[in-house]
Amino acid sequence: MAVDARRASGGPHAAPGAIALEPLNAPLFHTLMQRLAAGGRWVVLDLGAAHSATIGSFSRFRCRLDIVDLATGLDALNGEVDARRIRQHAESLLPQRRSESTDIVLCWDLINYMNQPALAAFMECVALRCKRGALAHGLVYYSAREMPERPSTFVPVDDQHIAQHDVVPRARPAPRYTPEDLARCMPRYGVERGRLLRNGMQEFLFRL
Amino acid sequence: MFEIGKKGTPETSSRPESSPARTESSAPRSSGGMSREAAVIGPSIHIDGDVRGEEDLLIDGEVSGTVQLKNNSLTVGPNGKVRADVYAHSIYVDGHLEGDLYGSERVNIRKSATVRGNITSPRVSLEDGAKFKGSIEMDPQAAQNVVSRAVAKSAPAPVAAKPIAPQPVKSEAPAVKTGLVS
Repeated sequence: MAVDARRASGGPHAAPGAIALEPLNAPLFHTLMQRLAAGGRWVVLDLGAAHSATIGSFSRFRCRLDIVDLATGLDALNGEVDARRIRQHAESLLPQRRSESTDIVLCWDLINYMNQPALAAFMECVALRCKRGALAHGLVYYSAREMPERPSTFVPVDDQHIAQHDVVPRARPAPRYTPEDLARCMPRYGVERGRLLRNGMQEFLFRL
Repeated sequence: MFEIGKKGTPETSSRPESSPARTESSAPRSSGGMSREAAVIGPSIHIDGDVRGEEDLLIDGEVSGTVQLKNNSLTVGPNGKVRADVYAHSIYVDGHLEGDLYGSERVNIRKSATVRGNITSPRVSLEDGAKFKGSIEMDPQAAQNVVSRAVAKSAPAPVAAKPIAPQPVKSEAPAVKTGLVS
């Protein structure tokens, strides 16, 4: 498939003053891309916003890319208190379930921006769309006590590096989810591997 | 009366004075490399129903239903609001579109666009800044199969071979064929 990847300064949710950071070496993202390169057809669920670089990267593979743009629904998701309504809202943010299940989930930094009830409900809904053995990739603010107030846009630079765009200057406390927190909120997701990145984020590869 | 079918170059017709001039790249392209003017649905036009045609079309108004331009291109202009499944040779979106897009040649989502729906086409481009939520079928073989099936399914039913009794006219949503109404 041919895809034009035009780069612009800001993504769809870029806030004034938002900046882009230097690309990061992301070895577990590389593992994911290697799996895709092995061949076959894949269904990829991208929880982030649509970006030409992501589309360009995945267009090399025979795949369907489902783009959720979760950032636009986070406030409402986190604002729900009733478990049933959280679940309903999570379902409404995701694409309809189809006969073809998801193989790969790209969570980027969005895990950090859901409170624990929202994270549990949302990731459960994601799991119900996934094949057994599906992989999920995520980035968790772990060392730093603060994180940008809004989710950033992470995009692949190549098969080994990802770049963080649209980083808003205002910060908020990071939940600093531990592997135990994640195991409690995401019981269907086993940690396959974890790596501490140069920027202090923990990169996780989960297997369902 | 619908203004659909009114001929005019996209650079000059149906655009407010304050709007920036349309660039060459945002004009509809006809198939086969032919250069021809596009039909225009202007900003004040609202259509509920099926739009079918055999020429390029620029929508700068509002359309709900389906749009079928099997061998031609559709451009949803910056003012355009389309709530429809779209079947076309090429689809270019600058405005708002809610529905599934089937482009047998390409689909191009420009930076000012807001699209919610699923895209199936052998060539898809999305400019940064565009808002998109939905699926993109990137498997060329699957895309071709889906587009072929969708176009066949969306084609009008064949005319009955035997004579049929006259039926009372129903006041349903109009099926508008571009180029027929002036």
